[in-house]
Amino acid sequence: MTSVVSRGGNGPHRAVIAGWDVVSPFGVGRKAFSTGLWGGYDPALTQDTAGRQLPDVRDCLVPGFSPREALGAKGTRSMDRVTGLAVTAVGQLIENSGGSGSLELAETTGLVLGTTTGSAQSIMDFTRSSLTAERPFYVDPAVIPNVVMNCAAGQCAIWYRLKGPNATIAAGRTAGLMALRYQRRLLASGRATTMICGAAEECSTARSWLEYHSRGPDPRPIVLGEGCGVLLMRSAVADAPDAGEPLAELLSVQTRVFYDDDPREAVKAAVRALTDAGTDPADVWAVSASQAPGLAGERERAVLAELFGEAALNRLPALPFGDTGAASAVFQVASVLSAAGQLPTAAGRLALVSSVDRDGTAAVALLRLG
Amino acid sequence: MTSRHRAGNDRTDRSRVVVTGIGVFSSIGTGAEEFAAGLRAGRSGSRPITIFDTTGFAYANGCEVAGPDPGRWIRSLDISQLGRAAQFSVAAARMAVEDAGLAEQDLRALRGQISIGTTDGESHDLDQIVAAELATSPEEIDRARARRVPAGRLSVAVAQELGLSNVEAATIATACSAGNYAIGSGFDAIQADEADFALCGGADAMCRKTFTLFYRLGTIAPDCCRPFDIGRKGILTGEGAGVLLLEGLESAQRRGARIYAEVLGYGLNCDAYHQVAPSQDSVARCMELALRNAGVRPTEVDLISAHGTGTKANDITETRAIREVYGENPPRTVSMKSMLGHTMGAASALAAIGCSLALTHGFIPPTINHEQTDPECTIDCVPNAAVEADLRIVQNNGLAFGGNNAVVILGKYQ
Repeated sequence: MTSVVSRGGNGPHRAVIAGWDVVSPFGVGRKAFSTGLWGGYDPALTQDTAGRQLPDVRDCLVPGFSPREALGAKGTRSMDRVTGLAVTAVGQLIENSGGSGSLELAETTGLVLGTTTGSAQSIMDFTRSSLTAERPFYVDPAVIPNVVMNCAAGQCAIWYRLKGPNATIAAGRTAGLMALRYQRRLLASGRATTMICGAAEECSTARSWLEYHSRGPDPRPIVLGEGCGVLLMRSAVADAPDAGEPLAELLSVQTRVFYDDDPREAVKAAVRALTDAGTDPADVWAVSASQAPGLAGERERAVLAELFGEAALNRLPALPFGDTGAASAVFQVASVLSAAGQLPTAAGRLALVSSVDRDGTAAVALLRLG
Repeated sequence: MTSRHRAGNDRTDRSRVVVTGIGVFSSIGTGAEEFAAGLRAGRSGSRPITIFDTTGFAYANGCEVAGPDPGRWIRSLDISQLGRAAQFSVAAARMAVEDAGLAEQDLRALRGQISIGTTDGESHDLDQIVAAELATSPEEIDRARARRVPAGRLSVAVAQELGLSNVEAATIATACSAGNYAIGSGFDAIQADEADFALCGGADAMCRKTFTLFYRLGTIAPDCCRPFDIGRKGILTGEGAGVLLLEGLESAQRRGARIYAEVLGYGLNCDAYHQVAPSQDSVARCMELALRNAGVRPTEVDLISAHGTGTKANDITETRAIREVYGENPPRTVSMKSMLGHTMGAASALAAIGCSLALTHGFIPPTINHEQTDPECTIDCVPNAAVEADLRIVQNNGLAFGGNNAVVILGKYQ
């Protein structure tokens, strides 16, 4: 039986990054992020001593963060942490986008958020309450929205009246880049004119235990970080003349599946796909490796060094937040974008962001800084 | 072959996208043929829930998957590394590939997209972890279960089972409309020439968490699911997976593939209104977006496969939205959830498969358990018995918590 016919491919749709913001262990906002990252600050690590016994796990938290603290009392009583991080980050982005191209909150502004599993804490707390209550349905209805993975994206839409396509992509560490691929298709097909695209991950007792039991034997202590990064995306073609200079152009995002903790061939193939679009690896000025814990991350870094050289890999400061799960790739993009304000040589240069997730996805994104 | 004028949407340079393979795990049948027979017979998947302890609930019917173990379709991967939802998605995907007359080797040289939609991911595993933790301690958590939790695995595992690398494999976690999102994503990827084929659909496993939340909201029916009926009392939770293999029309024709249906287009929007209650105007708007994207006028639609959960709120809101778009004589509007229960992330995928089979075989799946139509839901819901019908265009609705709406338009291939 003859097989499916390939039409080959005629180049990806290009999108521009018109804005970005983050809520990170350096604090709320991109200024805190840039200052901390380029100043070489060490974010505080904490141990959750409230009722758990995990000596080898440390949390790298957004300092002093709670949804109520960040957003006020209205509408936050039952908001879970990952939703609070996302709503805060998107709020920052919208507030700060007045300058470089005003964000029109039109019917077609959409949102895509990457995740690992939503809020494991919310889900497990809910089931625990059902199992320990006098009747299994004596559960708090106010937390029900939190137990589905699209809660954060749905809440962001409500808070900021974002009525365009609203999606949640679950892909662990690579979710941020998968979300970029997904939103670019929405822009290309005219389903949206503006997309907010990012990813979020919370620290929690539930996540710490799941992570502790998920890791293979590894003597290194586990540092789990949290936060949310968001990008303001527009179609390169549709970019209005008065929208201001884009911060960067998203040239391409490629992804592959890998096996047995070895992403090397996958990363090479993904990079080849980028170069097929006309990029010479020698032209890539900065490379952000995923820093994924374990063998997959080590191998990824090795193959990136082989392809692009150590200089490119050392251009940007390493992110010091530990394993930030789904938020990691967007933090990496943020580290690239923040270079514009730090290094005059960054303008017009190519940067590559690479991510791997131990479940077997590898993704690379190529950006040209404005 | 008639060429369709795509009103308001010039797609002449883009590939037409067709469904050439189907994989199904459901409470009324496994595989395309059995599923079609079940739909045609108006089979009910309802039975008492067994997958978790229902002690303390006043009633607990659900639609668990019966029939062969998904493990029979899983040849490469170690089943113990897959949660129940991933077992469904992987087995259904392999089934779809085989149904399309393809082998793994055929797919390896191509660019693919794998999109599995889900509401709960491996929440059943999380339920079990919590129960075990309460009985012992967090130290005793089953490592294999913990490792299975990330929802992305529902899609990556499909790739790994089939030995594929040149694929985008990402799970779409947009709750009860996720199946439609996944189909739409595959449609866009093929049209944009980013993928040569797409395996897309949805999968979910029955879990205590979801049953409990709907029960607490007062939306679990005590006996059966009766969409649009004046006596309706809510949903029955269900489980399963539906996966469709999509490819470009040219490719399907070249290899002589059997074509079930064509994906004409889809629409996405967000209510931005309430986390659980739907917004009528926004739902209507989503249908309009889908029709426009497909280049289809409302008068051309022969059948609507509703989200049709059987709750008081959904059925009124949805049928009002339908009348907003279609006027006072909308097409026949059915809910397959009457038979399948609410299979969460799999729901709109299973319904899209139902629509594809309906288009292929020329019948309308009935809305079963119907005694008296609610006068507030003025539609012909094709009660209780399937009818023969020469369908050309069908609309499939998916509405979810978080206001995540996705509507897909399918057409008879011609």
